[in-house]
Amino acid sequence: MTLTRRIIVCLDVAGGRVVKGVQFESLRDVGDPVVLAERYERAGADEIVYLDISASAEERATLLDLARRTAERLFVPLTIGGGIRTADDVGRALRAGADKVGINSAALERPEVLTESAERFGAQCVVASIDARREKGGWRVYSRGGRTPTEREPISWARECVERGAGEILLTSIDRDGARDGYDLELTRAVADAVHVPVIASGGAGNATHVLDALRQGHADAALVAGILHDGVTTVGAIKTLLADAGVLVRRKAA
Amino acid sequence: MKRVTLFDYGAGNLHSLGKALAETGYEVRIETDPRRATETDLLVLPGVGAFQLAAERLAPAREEVRTALADGLPTIGICLGMQLLFDESEEGKGRGLGVIPGRVERIRSPRVPHIGWNSVEPSGEKAFARAGLDVAYYAHSFVCRPEDESVVTAWTTEAEDRFPAAVRAGNVAGVQFHPEKSSREGVTFLAEMVREALR
Repeated sequence: MTLTRRIIVCLDVAGGRVVKGVQFESLRDVGDPVVLAERYERAGADEIVYLDISASAEERATLLDLARRTAERLFVPLTIGGGIRTADDVGRALRAGADKVGINSAALERPEVLTESAERFGAQCVVASIDARREKGGWRVYSRGGRTPTEREPISWARECVERGAGEILLTSIDRDGARDGYDLELTRAVADAVHVPVIASGGAGNATHVLDALRQGHADAALVAGILHDGVTTVGAIKTLLADAGVLVRRKAA
Repeated sequence: MKRVTLFDYGAGNLHSLGKALAETGYEVRIETDPRRATETDLLVLPGVGAFQLAAERLAPAREEVRTALADGLPTIGICLGMQLLFDESEEGKGRGLGVIPGRVERIRSPRVPHIGWNSVEPSGEKAFARAGLDVAYYAHSFVCRPEDESVVTAWTTEAEDRFPAAVRAGNVAGVQFHPEKSSREGVTFLAEMVREALR
């Protein structure tokens, strides 16, 4: 065989709780990320991402405790992103229970953090998280949760992240995020073709066909899915069935 | 009661592995001193960090650990822990334990690291079938190339590279994937390995 394509489920957390409403088999807004992560593992999710959108340092402190509680119950990989500034932060997140750590704004401000983290913990746990917005003639990378434009464009920035030690790219289209009209396939393909590490497409999934498009036309190795799963629009199982029927290799849960 | 010891190189997440091991019912201890780590019934070398740093951690007690393994101490190496069973690695300086002859080399694939779920094709180890584990989670850039392929108990393939998913030499076993991250089947597989080692 060869590597299967992955479906990665993202949960937005703050202060140790899930902050967006999640509809899971008629359960609304359970609130505890651990419970939801376990449910998604059972549903066949290949990985879980916690995106920490906490505003305050106090809220952020509870993230490590959350990672610890999750790691003791979750037996698929866990990535934590949001607010990671230094290699020591990466170390603390890994030590607490994350398997991979997403680095976004900190890498834009000080790219060496990618190298420092990869040398200490291995490239396989360093995820460069890139938020990009379309503009005339291409795309621009944004920092600070998509609020602050930078001078970088995503293709060369992705290349630089990899050269500096990132083992994976999590690529989010800001324009598509939450719009549910499909991933930015052109952006995804441009970045996936430019680097030799796995690329995770993010932003825009409205249905299972969009996921198929991201993997096949976008050349992504994995797709991040959030809202449509939390709202019960579709399920991990339904997405994987569509992918498998289209000839894409996926991991199927034993019944 | 028999004891399982998880050697801690000082980097990375040991919670999931500790929890998965604890499900076997044996006492699980985490030990940072390599000498004391061998005073156990089963030694587990976990799979996080870089080769050079882990080799440095082992170096002061390399001969004692090597002797303990050669004398039959049941051992399971996971990912980097499996690679440490070999002589040396392209990833970085330092010596592995050298209990399985061979080198650790960079995977031959257009996308490195090799991250995600890939096959496990058993060739001898019964725990795979018992656990129903045929696909597992991998996260690594380097693979083991044993001098003698008869130590390989399961294979996997990425792109053009076919490499060992698992090895065994006597009581010493290694897996390239992360059983503690391979969902329920992976945890069951690990429990099977532990029970077999401590029987």
